[in-house]
Amino acid sequence: MSATQAVYFDGRTSRRHPVTVLLAGGKVKIVGCDVDLEYDARRVRRSLRIANTPRWLYLPGGGACVTDDNDAVDRITVKSGYERVLQAWESRPLYAALAVLLTVGLMFLAVDRGVPAVASVIAERIPLQAEAALGRQALEGIGRFGMGRSQLSPGRQAALEKRFAAMVAHAGETTPYRLEFRTGGPFGANAFALPSGVIVMTDDLVALAGDDREILAVLAHELGHVRHRHVMRRLLEGSLTGLVLAAVTGDIASASSLAAAAPATLLQLKYSRANETEADRFAIALMRANDVDPRYLGTLLARLEAQGPRKNRGIPTFLSTHPDTDERAALANRPDH
Amino acid sequence: MNAPETTISDERVASAGRVVRAEFTGSAGEYFRIWIVNLFFTLVTLGVYSAWAKVRKKRYFYGSTRFDGDSFDYFASPKAILKGRLVAAAIFVAYALGTELYPVAGLAFWAVAIPALPWLVVRALGFNAQNSAYRGLRFDFAATTWEAARRFAGMVALMIATLGLAWPWFVARYKAFMLSRHAFGASRFECQLPARAFYGIYLKAGLVVLAVGAPLAFALTFALSLAIARSESLQALAPLALLLPVAGGYIGYAVAYAYVQARTTNLQWAGTRGPGVRFESTLRARRLSTLYIQNFLAVAATAGLLIPWAVVRTLRYRLEHFAMIVDDAVVHEANPALAPVGAAGQELGDFFNMDLGL
Repeated sequence: MSATQAVYFDGRTSRRHPVTVLLAGGKVKIVGCDVDLEYDARRVRRSLRIANTPRWLYLPGGGACVTDDNDAVDRITVKSGYERVLQAWESRPLYAALAVLLTVGLMFLAVDRGVPAVASVIAERIPLQAEAALGRQALEGIGRFGMGRSQLSPGRQAALEKRFAAMVAHAGETTPYRLEFRTGGPFGANAFALPSGVIVMTDDLVALAGDDREILAVLAHELGHVRHRHVMRRLLEGSLTGLVLAAVTGDIASASSLAAAAPATLLQLKYSRANETEADRFAIALMRANDVDPRYLGTLLARLEAQGPRKNRGIPTFLSTHPDTDERAALANRPDH
Repeated sequence: MNAPETTISDERVASAGRVVRAEFTGSAGEYFRIWIVNLFFTLVTLGVYSAWAKVRKKRYFYGSTRFDGDSFDYFASPKAILKGRLVAAAIFVAYALGTELYPVAGLAFWAVAIPALPWLVVRALGFNAQNSAYRGLRFDFAATTWEAARRFAGMVALMIATLGLAWPWFVARYKAFMLSRHAFGASRFECQLPARAFYGIYLKAGLVVLAVGAPLAFALTFALSLAIARSESLQALAPLALLLPVAGGYIGYAVAYAYVQARTTNLQWAGTRGPGVRFESTLRARRLSTLYIQNFLAVAATAGLLIPWAVVRTLRYRLEHFAMIVDDAVVHEANPALAPVGAAGQELGDFFNMDLGL
């Protein structure tokens, strides 16, 4: 038999009744000044313990008892496995410290590996056709930005296209793509992969290249972006990091949303650099399969950096969309393993 | 409990009833452990536990808040919350992807979402209120979707017609609507808020942004250029010159935000009453803005580890400056339309009874 001081509410009015709760012989008795109730103990539900907040006993019929005597409730009830686990983790400082370490580790794993892996798996399952509308818009967009029709002779364009197609076919690569030669406009010497597999190359880049194999290296790099679905992955990675950050910071929405935006941006840049490296690896493999020296990728990158505006100099790698040029060149120069 | 900074004058107490101050018994240390375990379990279960985590967090804060010796109780079903979160996550991903791939889809989304908004708001507020209780009685949010939709449509139309100048009026009407549709048991609240006072608050907030933000941005940048001019070795700090005006602006914004929060909260409670109860909130804009800025710095400097501390101290400040003035003769009764608190199966049923975390 056990007795616990509590307050009883009948669930019909807000009147409080100080009572004593007695447990004996499988019965819960609630006794007070104008209260005398008895229930089958199995039909009384209780709230889970949370630190030292008051505990509730919910009674059949709509009444409820609340008590500050957590230990008494713990003594007379059988704890579920979930409760025991929670109590162990929440009440011991060592477990809390362990939880901090594990949480930091898991969060690192989630954003470093989890998000890119999940995005990649999903992206490969979405057909390239899903990007068609986006690709058309992007092409119109760069046209408006002053990237007009290429000034290269049709013969030169066809020759480059043919050589690249032969290279792709020889490597057994079946990724669908379409080449677009354009004037550089404000973008100068540049090449990029647009949604739905459109690879844009500027006349300025063709002029800058010292060797056609350098141009092929860049095209191979851009095909790597198409092959690994980087457009779709970037979209998915954005949504997924949004979900992860919402789960983590859901607590303190108003005051520090800016604090959450900064890590999200840094993560986007990190994923972007990872994609560039993946495209580099793809290009190097494609060139090796064709017995083309992968170093042409490195030499072109060096040319780009030498002639480019000084805008990228001095920006630390973690704030950049692309990996460090020296590192990229080193990757291309590495002997075949 | 700490002595409050502002006390309610004795004569008002005598004329109006007994003053009941909120008492907050939670602590940053306790909440930190609950928070980190919640976060850890959420990550391990790939987000599924977040619904249980939310219930635990809410129960901790409800159980740590007392009026007249009695705490609040929260008994939402984690499964209902999980359902809501899964739907919300799916909609979020679909929206993010859809609008990126097909920009037209964004328009279609908002064409559906905007009319659905009143329904969502009513659902979410109803879910939260009906799953909250004090002294064995559930709260309720008693607006119909149709009523909310009519009001929102009218308010938004006026906002557009006045090019946004109706914003303070909009806030006053919105708050009054939300509060007056809440009920404790069968006791409905009433709320009337003077739009004129809200205009004063927002006007002053705009001036605060200018008065605090602009000089701060200027002073910070000036101090930096002075430091760089003094010493060659500080040259590396030059890129900060771009950042400092933003920081100054942000501080100005935080102060104005705290000012609006403090003043509108005080006004909102002053204008609200129920049978046998009035409210009083005495938040100070200066103290609240200091809290916000300290919270931001502490959370940023510890990569989020001090979030529980920030949450607890902000809530403690808010509650310590909140009081009810109670007429002890009034006894509140349960709303017969809602299931009693102790009834088996707290889940209130159908699929759409879910928490949307608004």
